[in-house]
Formats: sequence, C-alpha cells, structure tokens
Amino acid sequence: MKAIKNYFCLLAFIFLQALIISSAEGREDSFAKMGVVPSKNEKLAPSFTLKTPIGKKLSLKDFKGKTILLHFWATWCVPCKKELPTIQKVYEALNHNDFEVIAISIDRNNTENVKKYIKDYNLTFPVLLDQNQSVRKDYFILGLPTSYLIGADGNLKGFISGAREWDSDASKEMLSTLMH
Amino acid sequence: MNFFKVVSTSILFIVLSGSNVMAYIGLCCAHCGGNMPLNIMGGGIPETHEYRFKISEMYMSMDGLRDGTDEKSTSDLGPSTAAGKFRGVPKSMDSYMTMLGSAYSFTDNFAAMIMGGYVRNTMSMTTTAGDYDMFSQGLTDTKVLGKYRLYHDDNLAPTKQLSAVAGVAVPTGRITIKNTNHPTKTMQGKLLPFGMQPGSGTWDPILGLAYQKAADPFWMGANFMTTQRWGLNDQDYKKGSEYTLDLYLMRQFNEKSLASFQLNGKAWGDYSDQPKAGKESGDCHAMLNPARDWMTPLCDPTNYGGVNLHATVGIQFQPVPLHVAELNLSLPLYQNLNGPQLQSDYMLRLTYYLEVPTKKSRRYKGFSAPKQLGF
Repeated sequence: MKAIKNYFCLLAFIFLQALIISSAEGREDSFAKMGVVPSKNEKLAPSFTLKTPIGKKLSLKDFKGKTILLHFWATWCVPCKKELPTIQKVYEALNHNDFEVIAISIDRNNTENVKKYIKDYNLTFPVLLDQNQSVRKDYFILGLPTSYLIGADGNLKGFISGAREWDSDASKEMLSTLMH
Repeated sequence: MNFFKVVSTSILFIVLSGSNVMAYIGLCCAHCGGNMPLNIMGGGIPETHEYRFKISEMYMSMDGLRDGTDEKSTSDLGPSTAAGKFRGVPKSMDSYMTMLGSAYSFTDNFAAMIMGGYVRNTMSMTTTAGDYDMFSQGLTDTKVLGKYRLYHDDNLAPTKQLSAVAGVAVPTGRITIKNTNHPTKTMQGKLLPFGMQPGSGTWDPILGLAYQKAADPFWMGANFMTTQRWGLNDQDYKKGSEYTLDLYLMRQFNEKSLASFQLNGKAWGDYSDQPKAGKESGDCHAMLNPARDWMTPLCDPTNYGGVNLHATVGIQFQPVPLHVAELNLSLPLYQNLNGPQLQSDYMLRLTYYLEVPTKKSRRYKGFSAPKQLGF
C-alpha cells in the first residue's frame, strides 16, 4: 500500500514538473511572439508612488497580487498614441481581479494634454504622472513606448521596447500565461 | 542636365530606401526635444545609426539697390559713360537653389553631414547697350560638417542641450563662369562679377555652436555659425568671412505639425581683391581696360558684405513617420550693406526630409532591456 502511495506521489510530482516546464515553455513562446524580452534573473519591480492627473496618489504596492502591464508613454510620442487604444481594449478584455494596467506619462508639464488623451481615448486604467522623470529613470527608460510585465509576485517578468498590438490574440495569450 | 540626372537619381534612391525601411517599430528615440527648423544649417540631426536625406528648393528674390541703410535708385548709378557712373547697373535678381544633404548619426552625441547645391541666378541688368538678363548656374560649394553634443540634461527628452559644429566648405562651386549673353559681343566670354559666381574657390573652415531648449509644446534655440575665409583662390582673391546667428521658437500644435518663427542675423565681409582676369585682361573694367573704372558696381570687391536681419515664419508637417516637410518664408527686417548692392526682397524655401533607419538603429531592434533590472 505504501509502495502504491509512493508511486502516485512520484507520478503527481512528475506531472507537476511537466506542467511547470510546459507552462514555462508556453510563456517563452508567447513572449517570443510578442517580442517580449524575458527576465534572466527576476528582480522585484522598483516601487513608486505617483499622482494621477486629478491628484490621487497611487503606488505600485496598491496592485500587489496582480499581473501588471506597466506602460511608459508621453503625449508627444506618436507611436504611443496609436498603441494606447489597444491597451484599453486588452484591459477591458481581461479580468481585473488578476490583471492591471498602469500607464505612466513622462510629460514634464502637460497635465491638461494628458487629461485630454484620457478623455479622448476613454482610458479607464490608472494613468500616473512622472513629471520629474524619477520613475522613468528607475526603470531605465531610454525610448518610448516601453512596457514591463510584472508578475503577481511583484517581480519583473518581461521588457517590451516599442509599440505592440496589445489587443491581438498573441497578446491576450501571452498575458494569460503570465496570469496563471 | 547632368545635375538633374544626379538629383532625380538621388530622389529615386531616397524613395526606394524609404520604401525598403522595414525597421520602423514605432519608437520615439533619443532626439526628442532637439528639433530645429530645417532651413538652419546643422539642424535636423538623425537618430543614432540612422541616415537622413534632405532636399530643399529655395527661391530668393533681390530687388532694388541699397548703400548702407539707404535705398538707391538705378538712375543714381547709371547706366552712363559719365565719370562716377556705371555702364551697367543691376535692377533685380532671381536665384533658385536646389540643395541636397545627408547625415548619419554615429552615436547619440555625434553626427556627420554633407550638403551641396545647384544654383541658377538671373540678374536683370540695365546697360548703356540695352537691358538684358545676366545668367549663371552651377554647383555651389559643398559643406562637410560634424556635430557633437557637448551637454544635455536628459538623453530621451532633453530640456537643454549644447552642441558644437565643425567642418569645411569644399570648393566644388566654380568661380570662372563667363558672360554668355551680354548685348555687346566683346563682353561675351568675359568673367561674370563676384555675385554671379556660385563658388568661393577656397577651402573654408566652418565652426558653430547650437543651444537648444525644449519646454513642451515649445522648442527654442540659438544657432551661431561662422565660415572663415583664410586663403586665396586661383583668381587671387577670397570672399569675406560669414557669421550667422539664428534664433528660433517652434510650437507643436499636434503630433503632425508645428509652426516656427525665426530671427536670422548675418554679417559678412567684402571680397579681398578683384579676380586675376580683371587685373590681367580688364574683365569687369570699362573698355576692358584694367586701368579704367568698374563697368558695374558688381565688379567692385568692396561692394559686397554687410549686416542684415531677416524674420522667418515656417510650417513643419510630418504626414507619416520618417517623412517631414517644411515651408519657410523669410522677409528682411534690417539691411546695412556695403553698397551699392542689390538688397534682399524675400525668400521662400520648401524642404523635404526623410529618415532612414539602419539595422543598427534602435527603431529596428528596439532598446536593450536593462541588465540592472535582471534582463
């Protein structure tokens, strides 16, 4: 009886390992399809607290336990303008209990323009202002748009340089593998 | 005709290169905040590891004469064979210049550029032999420049940056173009006056400083440039040195268009001497005699140079990524000329600018993920 129990434990262990490996491979595939650079040595995402255009303070830790798409953009960035509506679509498509979008505008002094973008594009995810560029520098942003994927454990999982079609099937598949 | 073949081939090359750009991945890079009007020399620096090609068509109208700050009428100077008068007097000039330029950025801070042009000048003359249009055309001198960014406060979206420019003007423009259509047959085949020659004939160092500031939605800056003339050309003279100071303010209305206002100051010297052909054969002298007076004020080397200030308004338009067009109109605000010489009337300039990313460009491969964050 004990041998049978050990046998099933071993089977369960092998199954779990296979599941983890296939899940990692699935993530790698979905990352590759979206041009996401995976983390080599996962590190905790740098913490920050910023204000929304209406002055409400939000911190990264407020979204603890969720998979986060952390997106850096600016109103003067033409590719960002095309990309934001696709982010809104994927935000609407995924479950907010598990997934969150945080968009950080690095505009220095153009709060009104940021507000106009939020209104024009009906952005419902949190948009934060990094007017003194401090968070941008903590995340080594050298070009726009740039995005990071942060896992539910708070670690950085992926880096994306340049615009993507976030409402594509490849994007949804990639975010789903990250959420589960 | 060869020139137009070169231009058309260049345009074809530019268009084909542009259509082959598979690199654009939708990325704003390191020169945001560094925008300058395209008519300012040294403006329009490409992104790192990218080329840019620029083609401009400029029309300049010069109308009427000026000595110092006073306007002169043609009849004050001639045409007449009387003492103190000139046998030929300019009335106006139309100048069309096609300019081609290209640049490549080797790093975020250093870019090299080359620009040259082809000019067609038509000067309306009144002479004792009747009125006629003096004509010349040819390549201008070619400028080869390097621009190095000495200081910036932020690489992605700098609010302040200072750059140094250094280079040389290569004497590709001719200085020995002859008169072909003077109403007096004996004047045909004689050297045209200085202002009708498209080149300088000398290798001239160019030095400059550019200060740029960005305060969204404005860009502003000051650009100082000097072309020094130190050596004599084959005709044993040199053009005067030039100094330009351009102040500009640009306002972005949306991501596709912006307007600009500029104040363009220029000071330039006169010519050092008459050409060798004038001393030896009497070209540009009355009766083709080197001992006689100048045939026209255009022949006197001291009737060149001065100080002027122009106001320029412009519209820049970027219909699609990688393509930029700009239209500028310049009008004179102040002219103090070593005269008598023709005064500036107005200037129109249309520029088309194409960015061509290479495979090394960030817009081809994106930015590298930061090692500091575990990537």
